[in-house]
Amino acid sequence: MQDGRVTVGRTLRTNWFLGVLVAFLIALPFIVAELTGSSPYGIERGSRIIMRGESAFWMALLIEVFALTVFVMSYNLMFGFTGVISFGHALFFGLGGYTLGMLLQYTALDPNLALVLAVLLTLVLTGLSALLIGLATLRLRGVYFAIFTLAVAEMVWIFVGRWAVTNGEDGFAIDRLPAWIDPSSNRLTLYYIGLFLFVFTFLFIRRIVNSPTGSVFQAIRENEDRARAIGYHTLRYKLVAIIIAGMMAGGAGMLHGILNKKIGPEMFSVSYTVDALLMTIIGGVGTFTGPVIGAAGLHLTETLTRDIVIPLGFTSLRVGDSWLLIQGLIFVIVVMVFPFGLVGTWNRLRMRFRRRPAQAATKSSGKNVKSAG
Amino acid sequence: MLTVDAIDTFIGQFHILEGVSVEVPQGSITVLLGRNGAGKTTTLKSILGLTPPRSGKITFQGKTLNGRTPYQIASMGIGYVPEHRAIFKELTVRENLLIAGRKRGDLERNIDMIFDLFPDLKRLYALPGGNLSGGQQQMLAIARALVPENHLLLIDEPSEGLAPVIIEQLMAAIKRFSQDRTVLLVEQNFRVASRLADHYVIIDDGHSVASGAMANLVHDEALIQRYLGVA
Amino acid sequence: MNLRKALGNRGSTWLLIAGIFIAILAFSLFSAGGNMGTFAITLLSGLLRGMLLFLVAAGLSLIFGLMDILNFAQGAFFMVGAYLAYDVSHPSGGALTAGAAIPDPNLRFIVGLVLAVIVGGALGFVLERGLLRPLYKRPLFQLVLTFGVSIIMLEGIKAIWGGTPYIWTERLVAQDAQFFVFGQQFSVYRLVIIVVGFALMAGVALLLRRTRIGIIIRAGVQDAEMVNALGINVRAVFTLVFVIGCALAALGGGVAAPFLGATLSMGNTFLLASIAAIVLGGLGSYEGTAIASLLVGLGWATMEQFSVRPEVGTVVASITPMLMLVVILLLKPSGLFGEER
Repeated sequence: MQDGRVTVGRTLRTNWFLGVLVAFLIALPFIVAELTGSSPYGIERGSRIIMRGESAFWMALLIEVFALTVFVMSYNLMFGFTGVISFGHALFFGLGGYTLGMLLQYTALDPNLALVLAVLLTLVLTGLSALLIGLATLRLRGVYFAIFTLAVAEMVWIFVGRWAVTNGEDGFAIDRLPAWIDPSSNRLTLYYIGLFLFVFTFLFIRRIVNSPTGSVFQAIRENEDRARAIGYHTLRYKLVAIIIAGMMAGGAGMLHGILNKKIGPEMFSVSYTVDALLMTIIGGVGTFTGPVIGAAGLHLTETLTRDIVIPLGFTSLRVGDSWLLIQGLIFVIVVMVFPFGLVGTWNRLRMRFRRRPAQAATKSSGKNVKSAG
Repeated sequence: MLTVDAIDTFIGQFHILEGVSVEVPQGSITVLLGRNGAGKTTTLKSILGLTPPRSGKITFQGKTLNGRTPYQIASMGIGYVPEHRAIFKELTVRENLLIAGRKRGDLERNIDMIFDLFPDLKRLYALPGGNLSGGQQQMLAIARALVPENHLLLIDEPSEGLAPVIIEQLMAAIKRFSQDRTVLLVEQNFRVASRLADHYVIIDDGHSVASGAMANLVHDEALIQRYLGVA
Repeated sequence: MNLRKALGNRGSTWLLIAGIFIAILAFSLFSAGGNMGTFAITLLSGLLRGMLLFLVAAGLSLIFGLMDILNFAQGAFFMVGAYLAYDVSHPSGGALTAGAAIPDPNLRFIVGLVLAVIVGGALGFVLERGLLRPLYKRPLFQLVLTFGVSIIMLEGIKAIWGGTPYIWTERLVAQDAQFFVFGQQFSVYRLVIIVVGFALMAGVALLLRRTRIGIIIRAGVQDAEMVNALGINVRAVFTLVFVIGCALAALGGGVAAPFLGATLSMGNTFLLASIAAIVLGGLGSYEGTAIASLLVGLGWATMEQFSVRPEVGTVVASITPMLMLVVILLLKPSGLFGEER
């Protein structure tokens, strides 16, 4: 590992890629605005401001990507770095969304207060449920935890889908957002909040993984029995991992809810969990940039190719309708051919190319991504 | 009969065997000696293909074993009696033996011979393997390797955890059936090894360091002290 | 079968099973309000449900015991079976019209079942050989892979047959024939399934106990590597078991189609219920799976019957399989006959 000295030069060198990306993202709304003549501040129509134009479109797209990326990064922390498989991650996503939605729409609280309360309550609820679920089944073999999370998430999904209070399957719209954060009138603020959340989550996860705690996470992933034999309370570490992951997923759910101004039971559906799983693996399990690339790449691809129609013999496939199928196929191909994902495989190729000393070769790919930022 | 020629075996990242060579003459009882963790079990597993070597060559009766799967190697006439017996506890003695047969009627042909060697098994025939004592399980494990036509037996630490009386019985049985078979033995217990084997190979820290006739080894205090620790 | 010995070793387990059984019966009787007809129908429905679960769970259990893989795609195979059986039997509905070649609906149905089994087995073969075999060294990915494949199969079904659920409309001879128990009617078809189901259960049990391949499978469940070292091609056995497991699940779906139709949600529901069954029975134990399937089936049917009451609502029926799974995992995850792995 590195020596303790952190010089400015070194920090800049290892993080240059991230820095450039963030700077680009900060400027993006304005870049698009310049290129297309649209305004990132919206257009005034009478007394209101509405969001129209390419700049607004791209901001919305990217906010969704930020939410999705945070969600997938949280899944990667749990699965990619700690080796805990969950098939119910959407539970936390939905909890975040519904907590926010219900506090805003179903209470008479001041919207700003409701927002603050939503953040706190989401952290508590997601953390608590992660803790309970973990205590119940993390002691058992991994497959039991996976089954348990699947069952719980399904139950909640079905239940919420029939809950008359929240309009059951149709869900409900959010119309009480304070103006400063309402994406319909001021998307730029939400955009920067989303960007901040994304960068914060990225750095936070990297910090944890590179810390002693993170080393234990990875030891658990490699061989839990050995980790326990060495003396670590693996249960506690796994609990920490899933609690953090759950909280982050809840945050992503809130962001998603605010952006779309609609909350529905599909936020609890298994398709979000599947997204997280697929994107983590396709991007690269146990890497830092993998989930980002997986999530952003897949979502952007899906959005931009949505209306393409592929002729197939006697029928034709509209990409948008069959996206899950296509994604599934990509997933299977990746698992078989590039099990380490795009970023993971890239890292290994780079390693072999650079011919690092044998010592570095035995460490997991996660640690080698330090320089990739 | 079996020639292991300078094999290197890795388990994960760990280089367990380096250039290990073992020669097992036909009809002999050859023993692999060495301290704990020296690589004796790994050598057997490499022969059987359970931990295939990355380099080096293994030939059995003139045929190369490299690249074959364990079940193919076993089918060539090699019987394996692993450490800790590995009998099927939920299956009966009869089922344990039945499953070991490779050709039709293998069990019927050899059952008398097996009962002759291990009379206890006759009495326990219908009981689940888990009900047997340690010594009886060891007998079952060895008997299992005698059901099909196996010319070479790989036996890993048969005396481990057994009472001296049982060990005596086991040794007598091994001596008897090895008259028309070849045996490659791994044995920590030097007393047992010296009385049973006629050839030895010493494995030390992943290397084969010495080999020869057992008759010579028993007098070589220096060698014994150096590689086998407390004799 | 060493029944007496089994009873001796696990007396407490059998007591527990009896207890659960009686509890379900009692609750069922209570929820039927003492109406013997309703009670009897619920029981029969429960047995029927249990048989269907068994068809899915048997494969799940053996595959898990032998290969340490939880085949999440079992539910999808169940669905494929249902859709295929529906499609062949309803030449005007569905996606294919090949069924029109056969005029008699009963014959069409049989053909549909046969097709379901063949396609299920073939897909299972492709899945095991092509996708799972290369991943034996990485169990984490195997679990994830079967999950991914189940999604692909679901989407594939959706692409071929669309998202709207299919309701069975063809009248089969066995369906029309009814018999009466305590004044309520129950179709002969359902009864046939129950009887055939029991036969199948016994048949597989015999296969496992008496035949050489059965002994190999049971040995493999305990120690697959040793079986390999004995000169038996364990990988081929894996493939065989996997293929049979998938084919059985598809058969289950086909058999269920006449009264459940073909929907996109049945796969997941039956998967979770089957997982509940194999966890309750004890992962890797065939006897456990068989008994647990019946218990779960009975419990499920009872809960459905109970949720007919207005104050309970249909939500309870929908979440019963998951609820059972959660409860079992909380109380006794090793199951009735499971070893403490």
